[in-house]
Amino acid sequence: MIARIWTLAMNTAREAVRNKLLYSLLFFAILMILSGVAMGALSYTESERILQDIGIASIRLFSVAIAIFVGVGLIHKEVERRTVQTILSKPLSRAEFLLGKYLGLVLIIWLQMMIMVLFFAGLSELTGAPLGLSHLAAFALTAIELAVVVAIATLFSAFTTPMLASFFSCGLWMAGHLTRELRDHGAGSDQLIAREVTAWMHRILPDLESFNLSIEASHQLPVAASDVWLPALYGAGYVAILLVAATGIFERRDFR
Amino acid sequence: MSAAAEIVRVDEVVKDFRPGFGLRRKRVLHGISFQVREREIFGFIGPNGAGKTTTLKVLMGLIRATSGNASILGHGVNETAFRRQIGFLPENPYFYDYLTGKEILQFYAKLSGVSRQRRAFRVEELLELVGLSSVANARLRTYSKGMLQRIGIAQALVHDPNVVFLDEPMSGLDPVGRKEVRDLILRLRAEGKTVFMNTHILSDVEMLCDRVAIIVAGRIRYQGAIDEFLDAGQPEADLVLANVPPEIAVAMEERFAAGLRGHGERIELRIAEKDTSAVLRVAMEAGAEVVSVTPHRVSLESIFLSAVEQGTAEEKSS
Repeated sequence: MIARIWTLAMNTAREAVRNKLLYSLLFFAILMILSGVAMGALSYTESERILQDIGIASIRLFSVAIAIFVGVGLIHKEVERRTVQTILSKPLSRAEFLLGKYLGLVLIIWLQMMIMVLFFAGLSELTGAPLGLSHLAAFALTAIELAVVVAIATLFSAFTTPMLASFFSCGLWMAGHLTRELRDHGAGSDQLIAREVTAWMHRILPDLESFNLSIEASHQLPVAASDVWLPALYGAGYVAILLVAATGIFERRDFR
Repeated sequence: MSAAAEIVRVDEVVKDFRPGFGLRRKRVLHGISFQVREREIFGFIGPNGAGKTTTLKVLMGLIRATSGNASILGHGVNETAFRRQIGFLPENPYFYDYLTGKEILQFYAKLSGVSRQRRAFRVEELLELVGLSSVANARLRTYSKGMLQRIGIAQALVHDPNVVFLDEPMSGLDPVGRKEVRDLILRLRAEGKTVFMNTHILSDVEMLCDRVAIIVAGRIRYQGAIDEFLDAGQPEADLVLANVPPEIAVAMEERFAAGLRGHGERIELRIAEKDTSAVLRVAMEAGAEVVSVTPHRVSLESIFLSAVEQGTAEEKSS
């Protein structure tokens, strides 16, 4: 089973590196990180922090954009081009197929993120901006967030068109960054229904802010081990739930 | 397994599709049943839109049946492990076009669980078999339709399956390619494999198949051995006569319910074979000359066309 999933993952990675969108977004991400140097130069005292803020934000935003826009076509393209028919006639389950495709894309997204991080680290070194363990923790959690975002895109890709899947994935990603704030606002409300609704939204929707250590990284604040492994565990659980849901939908599909 | 063991069994399979988002369903398979036996070439024939590909996709687990049962080698079609023993060529196959011919076969061999030791040899062997060795390292996007069809056949055989399902295997092939695929199918049977073939090229069916089933509008109209089919119809004969007086020709047409073509010098009659002697006697008494008498075998085409007509008429009346 592992060999089959790995074969599919490697092939998916191979296909993803041929996607021109990935290179375009990577190019703009590098440009944005570079622009941090120019923006930082405008400030006498905070130039390093501006460089870091812009760099970390660019890495997160562009990685998410790549994850969504490459991820939404992941399953749809296979069904549309009917490559899924020969693959599923082989001794592998639909769940293995989905998992192989998912893992392949996550590997590529992590690889492109690593390229951005290396560029950012090089630039920080050149400009004398500090780099520390908090950066490592922030990027590790960004990688987990990307795994969640790819799982969201895979879920939508399993039953709808890339266009709709992009809308849904972007919407869920934005909602995922707001649920914590919404819950906190709701908790202060006098209305029971507002408190309950916002609390349930926070429970059901992904709490993507839990993967955000940007402030800790750019301000060199200390990060506790539990600030990393608890969100990592939460992310892994959320990915598992999303992939099980995607498999459930994919299992029922007819490939006409 | 005995010589007549059932390899494929389809029992009362129904498939409904829901066109769009409404509740209305369209039934495309109306409780079809048939069996495919071991070591036979089974032709599944029908006009476009009859349900051939849907049936094949139900067997491959790509489409879930609404009701009924389908099994291959005794396994439910939605199981996966037994697929090591089956190969599938879809209609107009499409593959990852950024891979080369060799890479795509290696990919499918890995998915099918072919061991690393055997993989390289098997891929080379198949490329040779389908005549693509010279372009093995070219990307699939440079392949013609016929070459993709050959790669499709190779991937269906890459794990040396016992049962092979082919959806329109001759599609996109030139006459030489078709002959090669026919020979390959016969070779598979000689190796003891079972072949299930979807097609509407009846000459291929007559040449290759041991048994056939005809599907029209989602219903099986006929199934059985190809020889039974061809012998089942009323045997006929074609007579060519010369110098037949016109009134005698018309009288023969009426008396023997014959099909008459031509007049005067030379006429052609299609009659029931049992009436041959009587027709010849009448013709000779009228002073006609017998040019030729040819027993006429009922073609699969005529059976097929009558099944289609009957099916279409029933569909309209219902």
